Amino acid sequence: MNSDLMDSNDSQVTKIQKYIDRMPSLSTTVTKVLEVCNTPNASPNDLNRVISLDPVLTGQVLKLINSAYYSLPNQISSLARAIIMLGLNTVKNLALSTAIISTIGKHDSFKSLPMDDFWSHSICVGVTAKALAAQQNIPIIEREEYFVAGMLHDLGKIPLNNCFAAEYVQALQLAELEQGPLIHAEKLLVGIDHGLSGRLIGEKWQLSDTMIQSFCFHHDPASASSGNRSLVATVALANLYANIYEIGSAGDLFPKASFLLDILDIVGLTWQDLGPLYNVVCGEIDKAQIFLKVAEKDRNEN
Amino acid sequence: MRIKFWGVRGSIPCPGPQTVKYGGNTACIELRFDDIDRLIIIDAGSGIRELGNYMMANDLPKGSIETDLYLSHTHWDHIMGFPFFVPLYLPTTKIRVHGPVTHEVDDTLETIVGGQMTYRYFPVRHVELAANIAYDHLKEDRFDLGDGITLTTKYLNHPILCLGYRFEYKGKVFCTSYDTEPYTNIFCTDPSDPSYDEGMDVEGEVVAKEQNQVMEQFLEGADFVVYDAQYTQAEYEDSKVGWGHSSMEYVVETAKRCRIKKMALFHHEPLRTDKQMDDLAKDYCCSGEDGGPEIFFAREGMEIIL
Ligand SMILES: [Zn+2]
Ligand SMILES: [Zn+2]
Repeated sequence: MNSDLMDSNDSQVTKIQKYIDRMPSLSTTVTKVLEVCNTPNASPNDLNRVISLDPVLTGQVLKLINSAYYSLPNQISSLARAIIMLGLNTVKNLALSTAIISTIGKHDSFKSLPMDDFWSHSICVGVTAKALAAQQNIPIIEREEYFVAGMLHDLGKIPLNNCFAAEYVQALQLAELEQGPLIHAEKLLVGIDHGLSGRLIGEKWQLSDTMIQSFCFHHDPASASSGNRSLVATVALANLYANIYEIGSAGDLFPKASFLLDILDIVGLTWQDLGPLYNVVCGEIDKAQIFLKVAEKDRNEN
Repeated sequence: MRIKFWGVRGSIPCPGPQTVKYGGNTACIELRFDDIDRLIIIDAGSGIRELGNYMMANDLPKGSIETDLYLSHTHWDHIMGFPFFVPLYLPTTKIRVHGPVTHEVDDTLETIVGGQMTYRYFPVRHVELAANIAYDHLKEDRFDLGDGITLTTKYLNHPILCLGYRFEYKGKVFCTSYDTEPYTNIFCTDPSDPSYDEGMDVEGEVVAKEQNQVMEQFLEGADFVVYDAQYTQAEYEDSKVGWGHSSMEYVVETAKRCRIKKMALFHHEPLRTDKQMDDLAKDYCCSGEDGGPEIFFAREGMEIIL
């Protein structure tokens, strides 16, 4: 076992590992998931979109696709690829079964981090990471991985927030009081930070190494392996961007300026390059919100 | 290898004066390895009933029946004959049923295939069957079946999980490739559509092309392929895209590209009459005398020796 895991409190690790199996989808998206999946002629674009807008569902669908159930020869880290290879129906069924199981007990799922803010933060980082990939001239077909990594980067906060609710409220308060990084407060008060918690999720779901590294190292991209460093740094930059512009919130509000310079250096961009992103990012988030709201409005009118 | 067709239709049996020549039973193929006395059956459509009767008359007198049944998938036209397969009712029969299962909570191959045998559908329940039946959930893989037979399985493009089979024995290759249609980019390709997404469009294009190539590698150089050709290209384009079946035009071209030696067009549209099939044969079938593949419509009772 890895030394990080050894150092942390074993009982906390066990508690998180148990929780991962029944980790709920975000209720921000679940209505729309059910709507799309229950439509007989759901469009492939809508299906892809609705799954990718929920970090928990995305992770769980990828887990099932890569499971021994299908025993596919290569790891799949893209929903679009899965939809072509396994078919629309298969992916629809996976999403539906996951979403239904996941909604059970959703009421107590977000104790101290407000769910809608967490969702806005996640999508902002996903969209920004993808836009940054475009600025770095990453080929279109590889940009989706940046989106997924950004969307999922903070998954590790969900188990912390739910398994250790009281301590996590204190950690959020401490980070705010100190105007410092949340991971330090998490370590101090919960004993485990969301990077490690994220790795537990990634390992349990057998997600790709790239994904796991972006969960672990988005606060320390220099520690990522050389093959993944640029993607992880891009997610880290997107995360800072979301925090600086206060688009959504996942409790981490006070990035260090020196850290920002280090990351810009790894990615090879300047802060000025990020200027034109704001409208793109806000436009994408608006679109996603509209896409999700249509279902809710219909339901409320009925 | 000796291959015999006991059922060649798609979707539903269609017996009658219009289908006497090509046959009206749904999918069932017998695969014999005479020199090692092995029998493999592919699919349990309505054609398996006649095969069972044949086995009772010809195999049973030589000893108890032992066979492997490989299901392409669990759509009803491929499993409906199972309860009528008489060897299941003999305590001496050993049968292993292999096939893919679509991911739905709690479904197993046994409940899907054997589930036809409950009093609500059938007078005999699955638990009352005398034979020794084992079920095996199959995935994409490569298997050593013993006696020098190898099997490669490949996921196909059908609305539920469906497998193509590639059997190799003594240097000869026999493949099944049904029910399936070519992979296409199913994502929106029109940039003016509000749901358009460039990433999905580009990836859909790349993955579809790549999966068609993987499929062609699976069929490459086969001595004999049984290929889904339910529709003409015009029928396919008109209203059947996404139904999980191929067009004759597409599979004929595929046979050429993959240097397939012999190909049977299979899973015939149930509405197709013998007369219409004969007419289509003029357009799509060929003798192979020009060095290209030999192509014909599969007929019930037809036997191919490799
Ligand atoms: Zn069929
Ligand atoms: Zn079918």
